[in-house]
Amino acid sequence: MFGRLLWKLLRSNLGRLAVALVGVTSGATVISALLTLQFDVERKLTQEFRALGANVLISPGRSGQAFTPSQAPSGTSPALMDEGRVLAEIDKSRTPAVTAAPFLYIIARAADRPVVVAGTWLDHMRLLDPTWKIEGHWISSRDDETACLIGRNVARQFAFTPGQELDLDYLGRQAHFRVAGIIDAGGAEDNQVFANLLLIQKLASLSGQIEIVQMSIHGPKKTLDRSVAQLTAALPGYEVRPIRAVTQAEGRLLDRTRLLIMLMVVLILMLTALCVLATMAALAMERRKDVGLMKALGGSISRIVALFLAEVGTLGAAGGLIGCLMGIGLARWMGERVFGASINPRWDVFPLTIALMIGVALAGALPLRLLGKVKPAVILRGE
Amino acid sequence: MAALVEIEELRKQFGNVRALDGVSFSVDAGEWIAIMGPSGSGKTTLINILGGLDTPTSGRAIVDGTDLARLDEAGLTRFRAEKVGFIFQQFHLVPYLTALENVMLAQYFHSTTDEGQARAELERVGLGDRVDHLPGQLSGGEQQRVAVARALINQPKLILADEPTGNLDEANEQTVLRLLQELHAEGHTILMVTHAPEIGALANRRIDLHHGRLVPAPVSV
Repeated sequence: MFGRLLWKLLRSNLGRLAVALVGVTSGATVISALLTLQFDVERKLTQEFRALGANVLISPGRSGQAFTPSQAPSGTSPALMDEGRVLAEIDKSRTPAVTAAPFLYIIARAADRPVVVAGTWLDHMRLLDPTWKIEGHWISSRDDETACLIGRNVARQFAFTPGQELDLDYLGRQAHFRVAGIIDAGGAEDNQVFANLLLIQKLASLSGQIEIVQMSIHGPKKTLDRSVAQLTAALPGYEVRPIRAVTQAEGRLLDRTRLLIMLMVVLILMLTALCVLATMAALAMERRKDVGLMKALGGSISRIVALFLAEVGTLGAAGGLIGCLMGIGLARWMGERVFGASINPRWDVFPLTIALMIGVALAGALPLRLLGKVKPAVILRGE
Repeated sequence: MAALVEIEELRKQFGNVRALDGVSFSVDAGEWIAIMGPSGSGKTTLINILGGLDTPTSGRAIVDGTDLARLDEAGLTRFRAEKVGFIFQQFHLVPYLTALENVMLAQYFHSTTDEGQARAELERVGLGDRVDHLPGQLSGGEQQRVAVARALINQPKLILADEPTGNLDEANEQTVLRLLQELHAEGHTILMVTHAPEIGALANRRIDLHHGRLVPAPVSV
């Protein structure tokens, strides 16, 4: 009978309940979208930050081999790392690195002028720093020893365009490249030439040696810190260093974004409760007669109010569910607009949003307390 | 026969107005009592107190051994559900419930619902083919018959009828009065408020109220 009465109550006040339903649904839509963003914002923002480039550097630190002029007379880094060992430890640590690329820098000569040449994994260049712009095309094969990328300042200096040939000289050893693309990085990379790591190692007679590894690690700060700690333990003596400016800015922005979203959720919950409150106040007045009659027939106030609370709870659940479904679309739209990428629906947001909406609807049903004061005799007299 | 209803020096005051002023009488089980008197004489107040809808200012009202003045809100609610069946002048049906559901509502507040029993009660009052109609789809007489079925569904000790035919045309009035006569014949105790002497004449006994006082001239019929 309870379900039957509930159904009839809902049907009998469709107009007024529809107004409250619109309010609850609107609130649930925005809240579920915000909560989806809240859960996803860390991933999205981390992706955004990863677009700014590497956030971890591995360098020789104290244990790096000291260079002697005989090894690198025209100037390389003061210390080097064993490529095989470092990369093996990165693999073993299962660090969720988006990209890791080893680098070996030399200063070679092109057309009799010095130029910084970075030997690296050319196929990871674009992944490591997605904000770089290129004229020409990226190099997709790590083994390609014939092509190179050059910074825009180098291109200007030597009047290079993509497709042209570049000859490098290092200590009398020559290398010949075709310029695949010109990079506009907006930084020091604009003054460098990027070529195949193996070839540069051979050119510098530093086979298996690298100077740094740049890593771009996905995930929140704690993931980053854990990865750094793991690698530090695995590579004693080497320096595994997060790039502080990036990670700290990321942490601050994440905290502020979370706070903003939570404040908005609270505000919307309050507004939704007010909407339900207004509707329920009107409904409570309308239902005085029904309640008076029910009391006259022996209905206890707890049983009667339970009926009306179930009605309000149903309203909250229905509004929450519809709002969640609409929130998927809103979250996707917001994701596209804010992050330029779609936000995937989070199913764990559903029960949370529905529970919040039921809670808000019940809080908004406070005027139903007035029904407890209804005197059946007064109502039946028509007063 | 044992008294089902005992009233002693019952008083009810609304502000400065004395609705009931020292009323005393008793009703035996199975009696049909007509409570008569002009408007404002305290008839409905008396019925409301006996039905546990209102509480007396002083005096005692005992129904089936229960002193109503001693009951709290929850006790009065339970009393209404178990001991009395109401028939109101205005029918007072829930407009969005069908005839069947209106009857079952009283069952629900009493204990558990039994749809078959509710249907049988509606068939008894001649509404077997109208069970799924809403009050708005029923005539006044039919609505009052639904109210009678609702009043009877929990087999109450006492039926309280406040001007049960006051809103009905003559044909429907006769139908409802016939129902009350049947109920009385079955042994139900009925207290009925009415203005009409010819309706009051159907009862075993008549109690007259004037300005909240009993006029000690009950008429045996």
